[in-house]
Amino acid sequence: MATLNEQAQAQQIEVYAQRKRLSSITLARWQAWPGTDQAALFFLLQDLQCGENHLKDLLNWLEEIAARDERTIADILERRELRRARATPGSRNDKLKAVKVVLRKIRYPRLTRLEENVRQALKALDLGRTVQVSFPSDFEGDEVTATLTARNVHELQDGLSQLQQRLDDGRFQRVFDALDDV
Amino acid sequence: MYQPTEILIERGEEEAPVVQRALARLPELPVRIVEKDWEQEDTRPAGMDPFGAGKRRLFFTRQRARFLEHCPAGTPGLVCCNYLIVSLISNCPMDCSYCFLQDYLANNPTLKVFTNSDDLLDEVAQVVDRQPWRQFRIGTGELSDSLALDALLGFSADLVPFFAARKNVLLELKTKSDCIDNLLRLESHGRVVVSWSLTPPAIADAEEHGTAPFAERLRAARRVQQAGYKIGFHFDPLIEYPRWETDYRQALEQVFTSVDPRRVAWVSFGSLRITPPLRKVIRQRFPQTRLLSGEQVLCDDGKWRTFQALRVKMYRTLITQLNRLAPTVPVYMCMETAPVWQKVFGRAPGCDKDVARSLTAPNLGQEGTHRAGRRAEQLTA
Repeated sequence: MATLNEQAQAQQIEVYAQRKRLSSITLARWQAWPGTDQAALFFLLQDLQCGENHLKDLLNWLEEIAARDERTIADILERRELRRARATPGSRNDKLKAVKVVLRKIRYPRLTRLEENVRQALKALDLGRTVQVSFPSDFEGDEVTATLTARNVHELQDGLSQLQQRLDDGRFQRVFDALDDV
Repeated sequence: MYQPTEILIERGEEEAPVVQRALARLPELPVRIVEKDWEQEDTRPAGMDPFGAGKRRLFFTRQRARFLEHCPAGTPGLVCCNYLIVSLISNCPMDCSYCFLQDYLANNPTLKVFTNSDDLLDEVAQVVDRQPWRQFRIGTGELSDSLALDALLGFSADLVPFFAARKNVLLELKTKSDCIDNLLRLESHGRVVVSWSLTPPAIADAEEHGTAPFAERLRAARRVQQAGYKIGFHFDPLIEYPRWETDYRQALEQVFTSVDPRRVAWVSFGSLRITPPLRKVIRQRFPQTRLLSGEQVLCDDGKWRTFQALRVKMYRTLITQLNRLAPTVPVYMCMETAPVWQKVFGRAPGCDKDVARSLTAPNLGQEGTHRAGRRAEQLTA
């Protein structure tokens, strides 16, 4: 990874902070990192051009992953899946989104796996547009909401039949099971 | 050992017994007499860590508000255990990185000790003696450690005999210390539960600053139990980190090879919960902490917790282990939702009295309850 000399690096970070109107607290937090970690984030931000809110997410997640895995932030940012996300073709927003998805997956491995399993179980329900299934935020609670939308009695009957069939063949049970599977 | 930097005494309280006891034990410390509203002036200690510095200023003052309060865990949406709290001390000599006092008492410039313990006892007597048919659990460990300062302040000598003489109330002294010497000289008649908050040694060493090490807490628990007290354990906060399962299993094993499970009043579990402002304070005061690295999400009550499926797994794992080691010990969860109770125990309590009764009745018997003859419901599935 390319490195800057310390003074130049500090100056560039200051300039970035001014340009993005970062709060003094956010800037101080970034500047409290070891030099190589500061530089690694700075290089990432050349691509992403984050403002205050996205940067705070990155700072939180990177610090928390580093503490949990006992790795440096520079090490984390060198991970293959993150480098791949940075290379995502498209706009700055596309890159930012891809990096945040990957970083969140590293930060919350079991929660994102649960989300993926629930998504797969929902896909397997194959309910089309008639029935929408939704969950409480971050799966806190125990209520799954199924909303059936119909424009006439036939559509209603069709939706109910589909629901009944998914209940009978166990596919709905797999959605509930996925919610507890960590 | 707690070492204050100065003693502050509210004018008029100089002769209070607790003040005299402390002055006798800390004769070298500078003493200042201050007016009763001294704290309302700008008295926060200066420096990088005013909260930490405030802990070392010992302030003796009268409590002018009520002592007896309902535990704040009775938040809407959470299962409550009808616990009452009284505080003779506000602020704690220990400094756990996750402690809610860092936010709750953020502007508190001192460690406050209330001089009017007789008023506290009167207030409790008014409530518990007038309702002899009800059973109560009252704890002192909400705003401070119950025992960490007992060698200095000696409050146990006021509290234990008072509660030992009452048949319908259990006093819980909750601690992370090994300061039990005063207790060994007192008779509890089974109505005082001394309980320890425990985390595995790796967490205790890294995050619970100024507390007794895990092994010392267990040694103290064994001595207190042998002296006739009931004891309890709180795995609260339950912290999720890469080795949580192995470490907590080992901790439970160690507990129940150290003490007699038949005289354990209760064990509780409660997931780590952190408000957003507390999260900021933790980052600032303990930048090296690993506490914030768990898979926590913001819950409906405005606190970050380990996400539900994972904390249910943690509760189930540890309660299954507990049931193997000590099948008759009452167990409950602190500040949890009914859906989580349902998933962990197979059913949620019908009302908060269910939980309270499952904890008081096995420890006080049916004496003093208007539901005499009715078996206490154990919530363990």
